Amino acid sequence: MELIDRYLHAVKFWLPKAQAADIIAELGEDIHTQVDEQEHELGRELTSEETADLLRKRGRPVLVANHYLPQQYLIGPLFFPIYKFVLKIVALCCLVPWVSGWLALIVASGGRDFHGWVVRFGSMGSSLWSTAFLSAAVVTMVFAVLERAEAKSHFMETWDPRKLPPVRNPRKISRSCAAVELAVTLVFAVWWAVNLSSAVLDLPFARITLSGTWTYFFGGFLAVMLGSAALAAASLIDPHWTVRRATAKLLIDCAGAALFCWLLGVHIVAGIAAPDLTPIQAHELADAINLWAARVMPSGLIIGVIAAAVNVHRIRRLRMGDQGRAGTVNGQANGPTPYASPLP
Amino acid sequence: MAQGTVAANPETFENLRGELRRGSLVLAVLSALRHEQYGYTLRKALAEHGMEIDEGTLYPLLRRLESQGLLASEWREQDKRNKRFYRLSKEGKEILKQLTAEWQSIDSSLRAVWREQGHGTDRPVPTRG
Repeated sequence: MELIDRYLHAVKFWLPKAQAADIIAELGEDIHTQVDEQEHELGRELTSEETADLLRKRGRPVLVANHYLPQQYLIGPLFFPIYKFVLKIVALCCLVPWVSGWLALIVASGGRDFHGWVVRFGSMGSSLWSTAFLSAAVVTMVFAVLERAEAKSHFMETWDPRKLPPVRNPRKISRSCAAVELAVTLVFAVWWAVNLSSAVLDLPFARITLSGTWTYFFGGFLAVMLGSAALAAASLIDPHWTVRRATAKLLIDCAGAALFCWLLGVHIVAGIAAPDLTPIQAHELADAINLWAARVMPSGLIIGVIAAAVNVHRIRRLRMGDQGRAGTVNGQANGPTPYASPLP
Repeated sequence: MAQGTVAANPETFENLRGELRRGSLVLAVLSALRHEQYGYTLRKALAEHGMEIDEGTLYPLLRRLESQGLLASEWREQDKRNKRFYRLSKEGKEILKQLTAEWQSIDSSLRAVWREQGHGTDRPVPTRG
């Protein structure tokens, strides 16, 4: 019986003071009745182990008490999906600058100092953790306040369906974006063709001589620009993504990224001549530019890989959409419907 | 597995079954309390009729129904021990009448839906697998 008293005492700890005595009296009576009944069936008193087993079946004291408490949430089911969505964005906002900063440090160190990477990773990791923890705490507090405000005013029940965002069609290309892209690409291509066809650049303050490989870069980048312009023109005429067009975009972006990385690593500056610089200073400046270009190359590579991944994702999504349409029965698509986020 | 059969997830079934039965607990408790009883005997009576309910659910439910004015309770001594006896209040009797009508309406609606499914019977669609 001492075990039952201890159990009831533990349950009482979690109960609201005003009702605790009443609840415990009823719960105690229920347990004692059950014990009496079992003892009557067995014809003897319950052992300590049997009493413990009976109480174990009733559940932990805190869980038993919890049944009597009003249901409370820090963040309830109404706000939880929005809370989770915001936390994901916050996590992304914390992680992206951190990874970028770490990569930038690797690049700046010339990619050789492995021990330095690890030390920086550790020190930046601790700052990331504190930033992420603080951000998550602030978001949680804001949502907890919203939860309580909603419980009082029910402001989430007032909404206007007309303010929902329009359904976004992932196949659709904005004509205005295509027009801007076409104009900018053409202007840049013309400027490129007029000013950079020669391997010797006459600038107002210096003369820069590029290495012999420049001819390939000049032609390669011009071809990439013309390809982009053609793609933008096609999007202007028919503003919809197709698998073929997305594949062309992937090839153009990959070619541009490969050319850019190659340009950074090829020591493109052969010489610099400037009135204010001695030949030795000019040589050192050319070397420094080439060195920094080589150090930036990994960043260029990462950007290229990200661009390629975005394009591959687009192709995959378009292919899935095509398969969905192929399975269309009586005008009802079986594939995924491209609904936009329901968040206003 | 035979073609066309689908193996039902036992856990999913248990969750849905629990949800379905929880919805009918209030009606079962109110119905059983047309005659005065205390918690332990009420739980046993419900269990004997196939409505198993654990004490962690029953007692908070009884308190809630009492706070809503559907039940009245009284501490009384029986077998040398104080017990709390519950019975339906006047309002509880009225609510029980309405809930019973609602239950019967749901029952007949479901039977109509099953009939419309082309089984030509009041029985639910048999599950396979």
